[in-house]
This record gives sequence, structure tokens and C-alpha cells, in this order.
Amino acid sequence: MTDQQPILFIDLGVGGMTCDDCVVHVTEALESVPGVEAATVDLPTRSAVVTARSDVEGSALAQAVRTTGQYNAFERGRRATSGE
Amino acid sequence: MSDAFDLLILGSGSTAFAAAIRAADLGARVAMVERRTLGGTCVNRGCLPSKNLIEAARIVHEAAHPRYAGLAPADVGVDFGALVGQKDEVVRDYRAKKYASVAGGLTDLELLEGDAAFTDPHTVQVGDRVVTGDRILVATGSRPTIPPIPGLADVPYLTSDLLDADEVGRLTELPASLIVLGGGYIAVELAQMFSRLGSRVTIVARSGLLSGYEPDLGQTLADAFTAEGIELLTEARADHVRGDPRGVELAVEQAGAGRVVRAARLLVATGRTPNTDTLGLDRAGIKIDGDGFVPVDAQLRTSQPHVWAAGDVIGRQHRSQMATPVGARQGRIVADNAFADAARAFDGSVIPRAIFTDPPIAVVGETEAEVRARHYPAVAATTPLLYVPRAGAVHKTTGFVKFIASTIDERVLGVHIIGEAAPEIIHEAAMAMKFKATLADFVDLIHVYPTMSEALKIGAQAFSRDVTKLSCCAE
Repeated sequence: MTDQQPILFIDLGVGGMTCDDCVVHVTEALESVPGVEAATVDLPTRSAVVTARSDVEGSALAQAVRTTGQYNAFERGRRATSGE
Repeated sequence: MSDAFDLLILGSGSTAFAAAIRAADLGARVAMVERRTLGGTCVNRGCLPSKNLIEAARIVHEAAHPRYAGLAPADVGVDFGALVGQKDEVVRDYRAKKYASVAGGLTDLELLEGDAAFTDPHTVQVGDRVVTGDRILVATGSRPTIPPIPGLADVPYLTSDLLDADEVGRLTELPASLIVLGGGYIAVELAQMFSRLGSRVTIVARSGLLSGYEPDLGQTLADAFTAEGIELLTEARADHVRGDPRGVELAVEQAGAGRVVRAARLLVATGRTPNTDTLGLDRAGIKIDGDGFVPVDAQLRTSQPHVWAAGDVIGRQHRSQMATPVGARQGRIVADNAFADAARAFDGSVIPRAIFTDPPIAVVGETEAEVRARHYPAVAATTPLLYVPRAGAVHKTTGFVKFIASTIDERVLGVHIIGEAAPEIIHEAAMAMKFKATLADFVDLIHVYPTMSEALKIGAQAFSRDVTKLSCCAE
């Protein structure tokens, strides 16, 4: 663990969500990954924005979501928290 | 919607749809590009319309040749235009139900109409629009191969596109006579269909019928065709084509001698060419082989890591086949690999395949020649359908079943059938082979009496018993 790692936004596509409970489950899964500060999951656009240290791998986020057994996630890209 | 997609699919056939549905399930934003009619070859101008008209042709033929003493031949009359009209309705109905409404029901799927051409590895131009795909699937299918025969470009000719319901290549008038150039599965299906609907048909084939299949299948079919009045010119080379006021004439060289075949129309059915030539694949760094097929690894990834290819465009790699359900399976695999890191490989070892002639043909697994070529110890047995009780009961004894089995463990390696109901009963063999069944497993299963599926039980028994001396139910 290092505090030197910059914080950034990681955009994810999320599949399999049908209701608000799903949003809660996916959010919890994403926030369980070490290095993740927060996750915002959006049902209508089937996507999530994760605020995380830059060393957090997209595969770790995807794996955490897939481990629920019901949902899928994949990384779309990452961007700086300072702006678009 | 944005012009940036998680998955950009070139093509809209069974491969594309399976990939789109699965990718959407996995959370992807998907776009599909189609330059012709939504749905691809199968629903518009392939499997579906051909099976519709082939069944109509069977009804016509069976009415005229009822097989049973006591049934008088009848002429049911053929209104070809009306037949084509109902076929078009079936095509449009299936296209609406299985493609258009499915696409409409998917979240985040956009359909783009037009020719697609890569401008760089992630960017595709579709008409005036520029779209990007983080991941891309090339599933553009195939089209009829047009052989380089002198004069062909100067005469009007038909291809399997004649089956289409809504494109210019569609056929609405029954030709009085027809030359079918080719001896593959499309050529034989359409040749018999036209013959039974009333055309005088001549097949001109470079080798025999159905080369690449078990040789006896093509020979049995050739005998059936000849008996129906279809003229067969095999081992024949098409030299040149010329148009005349009444139709076309094809100059053919056969066994060193030349002859000219004349007919009202010419149908070219000499194979399928992958639709990869106009895509600008080189600008995306995607390699193709000398025949235009896209090389892929077992997980269907091309030479460009973010681009996959599936369906007809990969040809016969990894034991794939150019067939609708094969493409659909591959499309799903691509979506799983692209968005769920599934690392799934395509397994083409057990794929049943059928040719909807009469008698129909169905095969699964290897031919005897393929097994011999890899020097695997195997034994083969061919059993005429004459020994299948149902075949005799309904006066449809033409055909045989051929098994190829390992001599090491009696595992079944291939099953090849020509005869009544072959496209249905092949699934028993395919399922058995999927679970690595032996000859004994086929024999052990109690089969319904009297069914054509008993051919599998009897065919498997032929390795160890004299099947001419079986009692009822093959026990």
C-alpha cells in the first residue's frame, strides 16, 4: 500500500443488473476491492464510475463483480479526477 | 447515442446477433453494421427460404410419385410466383421475429446501415458516419463465389441470392430449363428443388457430387437425381459461357470431349467467398489469408488483439464450418472472451451438418478418409437402410448409414447418413459423440420401433453381427 498512487476515475460497463438491489450488490462488490475509495453504479446506463488508486487493475474490479455470480463488469477506460 | 461503442460488429447475421445479445447481457454498448438486409444470409437468402421451397417441391414430387400401390399420381400444379410470395412472407416474418424485434429489444444496440471500412484499428467509416469500437467483431459472412469462366460476366446468371425476398437478385419466374454449375451442398439442394418444381435441370460439376464428404453419399445422391430426370455432367470443366436470345449456353469439357449445354437460366453455385475484400482490414492491421479468410486463434482473436472474427469469414479453421449455428456459437464465445475474460476456445469436433436433398444427407465427425489420413486405427461399416424396418414399411429404403469407429476403444469417430429423416436422427449421433460414446452405447440404447433412428442402432451392430438376420427391434 502506498499513498503516492494518484486517484483517478475508472469507467466500467456493467451487465446483468435489473433493479436497485443489483446496484447495491455491484457497488458493494466494487468497494470491496483494495484501493477503491468509492463506486457509483448507474442502472439505466449499465455503467459504473469507480474512484480508485491508479494501481487498481480493471481485472480486479471485473473479478469482484463477477464473483457475485450474477453480474459482469469490464473496464472502459480511466481518466483523471481533475477533469474530463 | 455516442459514436463510440464497446463492441462494433461488422455484419448482422447469426454470428453478429449471438455476439450482440451476449455482449449486451454483459453490459456492453453494441453497434452492428449491415450493408444488405438485416439478418444475413441464413434468414434472407440461405437456409430458411431454401428449406421452405424444398419442402414445397417435395410435396409436388411425392404427389406425382406416391410410392404406394393403390395411390394414384396427382399433379398438384405449381404457381411459382405464389410459392415465391409465401416464401417471401416466411422470410420477412422470421426476419422480424428473430432479428429485427430482438435487436429492438436490446438495450444499447444500434444498427448502422451501409458499407463498413476501417480507417484505423479502432475506427470504421459507415457511409458518412465515423464510429469507433473498443473491441470489434468481423462477422461479415460470405457470398457466392463467382468462378473465372470466360463470358460469365457478360451473361445474366443466378446465384443462391435468387432466394432473397427483398433484393434485386430474387427470382420470381420458374426457368423452363436450368444449368446448375457446381456440385456442392447448395448446388444439389437447389438443383433438385428446381427440377421438382418443373425446370429441366442439368448439373455441371468439376468433380462428383459433394466432394469432401464420404464418397458414397454423393454417388447415392447422383443415382437418385438421375432417376428423377436430373442430368448430371460430372468431372466436367466449364470452358466458357455465351448468351443467346433464348438463354445461356455453357461449353463444357468432359473426359477430353467438348459439348455445349443450353438452358434458359444459369445458376452459379460453386462455393462461398468470405466478405472481407472491401473492409480495409489492412488499415486495421488485420491479416487475411490468400482466399480472403481471416486467420484467428482458437479463441477467435485475429492478428489484431482487440479484433475478433467469427462465422463464415474464418472458413474451416479450428474445425469450424460455414454454417449458421456454428457462427452463432462463435459469436457468443467472442462476446464472452471480449467482455468477461472467459478465454473460451471454439470446439468444432462435433458439429452435425445436413444437406436437405431427397434423400437427405446428414453427417457428424470425421470421414473415413480423414481418419485414415491421420493414421488412426479405425474400422468402418456401411449398412443399407434396407435393413431398417421403418424404411421398408414406408417404402423409403434408399440410403445407408456409415459408422467409423476407433479399433482401440470402439469410440465412434464419424457417422454419415443418407436417407429418410437423416437431418433429424443425426442429432442422436452428435449427442452420443459429444459424450464420447462407443458403438456399444448405440446398440445398448433401446430405440423406438419403427423409426429411422434405429438405423444408428443397426449401423452400430453391423460391426459385430450380421444385420441381415436381426429380428424386430434389432435385438
